[in-house]
Amino acid sequence: MTRLLSTSTCLVVALLALTSRPLLAREHEPTRIRASAIQVEMIQSDEIKLPAEFRVALYENLVRQLEKQGGFQHVYRDGDRDAKSAPDLVVLYSSVRGFNAGSERARQVTTVFGATSITIHCRFTNADGKLLLERDVKGKVRLFGGNLKATYDFAKKAAHVARQNFSSAT
Amino acid sequence: MTLRTRTMTTAAVVVLVCLPAAVAKARLTSGPVRANALMGLTGIKQNTKGTLSVEHGNLHFASAKASADVKTTAIKDVVTGEDSEIAVGDKVHMISMAAPYGGGRFLSLFRKKIDTLTVEYRDADGGFHGAIFTMPVGAADMIKRELVAEGAHSGTIGPNTAAARSNNYQGKGQTQ
Repeated sequence: MTRLLSTSTCLVVALLALTSRPLLAREHEPTRIRASAIQVEMIQSDEIKLPAEFRVALYENLVRQLEKQGGFQHVYRDGDRDAKSAPDLVVLYSSVRGFNAGSERARQVTTVFGATSITIHCRFTNADGKLLLERDVKGKVRLFGGNLKATYDFAKKAAHVARQNFSSAT
Repeated sequence: MTLRTRTMTTAAVVVLVCLPAAVAKARLTSGPVRANALMGLTGIKQNTKGTLSVEHGNLHFASAKASADVKTTAIKDVVTGEDSEIAVGDKVHMISMAAPYGGGRFLSLFRKKIDTLTVEYRDADGGFHGAIFTMPVGAADMIKRELVAEGAHSGTIGPNTAAARSNNYQGKGQTQ
């Protein structure tokens, strides 16, 4: 009888935990800012000089990932004149804050050492320049692959931050 | 053997050695160059193999399935991998190790040596695009020279491209 009681208690606790978890998650979910479109400004690297191909790779991957999974109706590029007429426009400014130059060779050989990482400060503002959100996003390549993967990783994470905090739904 | 004969023999050897290399280089510029469009070229999928050329005021990329053109006048900057190394400089040379596709000093020791060409341009709406190509060593600077000669802008000018721009400027001066 004692055994049956403890088992049923465990079951009830587990059920309670399972049902309360989504509710808790909903409570912690940040309120999303309404934004139908985003304009992606070119990656700035004034403090740290980056090769042009690296900056362009970061930018192109960022635009691509925002189009894929950012959740915006439109993704405008730097300088696009059509962005001015977009309602609820968010502007994304990104600047390179730091990097850790790894080694693809070391990654291939050891699979432990040689990770490349790049930290980029992302500022989301509205069309008037009012700051809405800012985050440091890190792009990494740990195990296999060239440094291009670090730019892809950054783009994916930045798009994820955008999706979590902005919504185009009315 | 007199000193004069020796000098002439040396000069002949130098010419014989350098001539095939110069011819090979000239061939590289005259026609399309094999290139890989890594990303950023409108209408072309990532990592597409094809040929790259400069013709009729356009940067022309053609693959088996598709082709794309970028007007040279819409090009705001052309940067080769070599330019990047110079721009990044010795003080922060370590940063170049972070260049993608093995463009950096350390990585290039272990990876197949390739040239990179980055073309930054604006579309009809003014939107920024950046296209990255990889190609055989030496080809990037040739393409860049041709682009600059056809009116493309370049913020980072290497010694060869500076000469091309100077020639272009002189040419324009003569026609005016």
